[in-house]
Amino acid sequence: MDKQISDEELLAELKQRFEENKRALLDLQSLNEELIIVNKKLEDSESLKSHFVSNITNEIINPFTSILGLSKAILSVDKENWKRVFSMIALIHSEAFSLDFQFRNIFVAAKIEAGDIYPEIFTVDIKNLIDSVIESFKYEAKKKHVTINVTHCESVNKDKLFVFKTDPEKFKLIFANLLRNAINFSYESGKIDINLCLVDGSLSLCVKDYGIGISKENHAIIFDRFNRLDSGINSINRGHGLGLSVSKAIIDLLKGRIEIESETGKGASFTLIIPESIEASEGFASDANEAFFNDFDKF
Amino acid sequence: MDSYQQHFLYPSTLYASNSPSLVTTILGSCVAVCLFDPELKIGGINHYMLPLWNGHGLASPKYGSIANEKLLEKLYHLGSKHENIIAKVFGGGEIIDNTIKQFNIGERNIIIAFEMLQRLNVPVLAKSVGGKFGRRIEYNTATGEVKHRFIERTISL
Repeated sequence: MDKQISDEELLAELKQRFEENKRALLDLQSLNEELIIVNKKLEDSESLKSHFVSNITNEIINPFTSILGLSKAILSVDKENWKRVFSMIALIHSEAFSLDFQFRNIFVAAKIEAGDIYPEIFTVDIKNLIDSVIESFKYEAKKKHVTINVTHCESVNKDKLFVFKTDPEKFKLIFANLLRNAINFSYESGKIDINLCLVDGSLSLCVKDYGIGISKENHAIIFDRFNRLDSGINSINRGHGLGLSVSKAIIDLLKGRIEIESETGKGASFTLIIPESIEASEGFASDANEAFFNDFDKF
Repeated sequence: MDSYQQHFLYPSTLYASNSPSLVTTILGSCVAVCLFDPELKIGGINHYMLPLWNGHGLASPKYGSIANEKLLEKLYHLGSKHENIIAKVFGGGEIIDNTIKQFNIGERNIIIAFEMLQRLNVPVLAKSVGGKFGRRIEYNTATGEVKHRFIERTISL
């Protein structure tokens, strides 16, 4: 390079390069800061994970112990005292119910993390599905004297069948998680409002409780795995913090979204919005798309 | 083509099988890495949306860093030896115009694929990445062959 350049040009060039360097450095700095935050999060997640393993004792072994103990007690009840059996069976049911629920979340979480989960689309009778979930939580709600009210928007005719194409099992799990949280975080003798709507072809399901609520700064982290806002050893709220992160991942799979409205002490309202699936109910029909590859590249 | 299993691969999932399968997926800024073992004639494919897991939500194959490792593990499970495995990389188009570098998800997805495959010592035999279009690919897990087509409509995967 023996091209002559003037001092001015040299200075301008140098200045420009300095500027570029400065910018690159700034970029790097902001990336580094991001990295530190992410690293912190991963550390937290890791420690929560090990916490989770130790929690299993409380969450799984203890219910099993009480189920075993109670069923053994039932076996030794005299015929005259058979009425006592009812209350024991209610306790067994409650323990088994919560175990079953936790296992469902754990298995779905494992499937999501293995990348082995697909929407299985059917035409679903939504009202019936919602009723069946509420029915399954009947005893849990009764235990806390919580009443559950279901309302429908005008777009959903109360007396007519309401069908919607979606994945019933996954929808059920999301709703069950929302309902379970609503019951758990309600005060004694509280109420829960459930509202079902059809907005622009999407299903909108709102679950509102009037319980302890979630502070604004915690809205973002409730969907992280193993995160429970109230995880003290004396916590009256059981669970392992998988429910909402599982729900969030399934909602993504169904291309939906979830909105939270809550403040500390003012209850919480979760609105689930899911678009109707455009897939054929039979699943993926491959033959119809074969023509698509008439003109393709091979790799 | 008598007994191929058909599979549509959803985003954030992965698929690997030792029975011959035709796996179809649609990619926007997402990236799919196809791994193939020519010895055993088996293969697997992932479809990730973001490059790195940031500790949010579940550690699922929605993120490249997790998806690529998990897919490789799946092939080991099916009996593949590491030195036989080869890779093909697709996707990562910038289907949404933007000028802010940090938002170039497609590009960052591509970078993580090549960086990881290099670090893991898996040779990349073919690729079709970047650009402005979405892609539809069909992967034959028994031959390692990928049919590939650009799609012009913009989608937000």
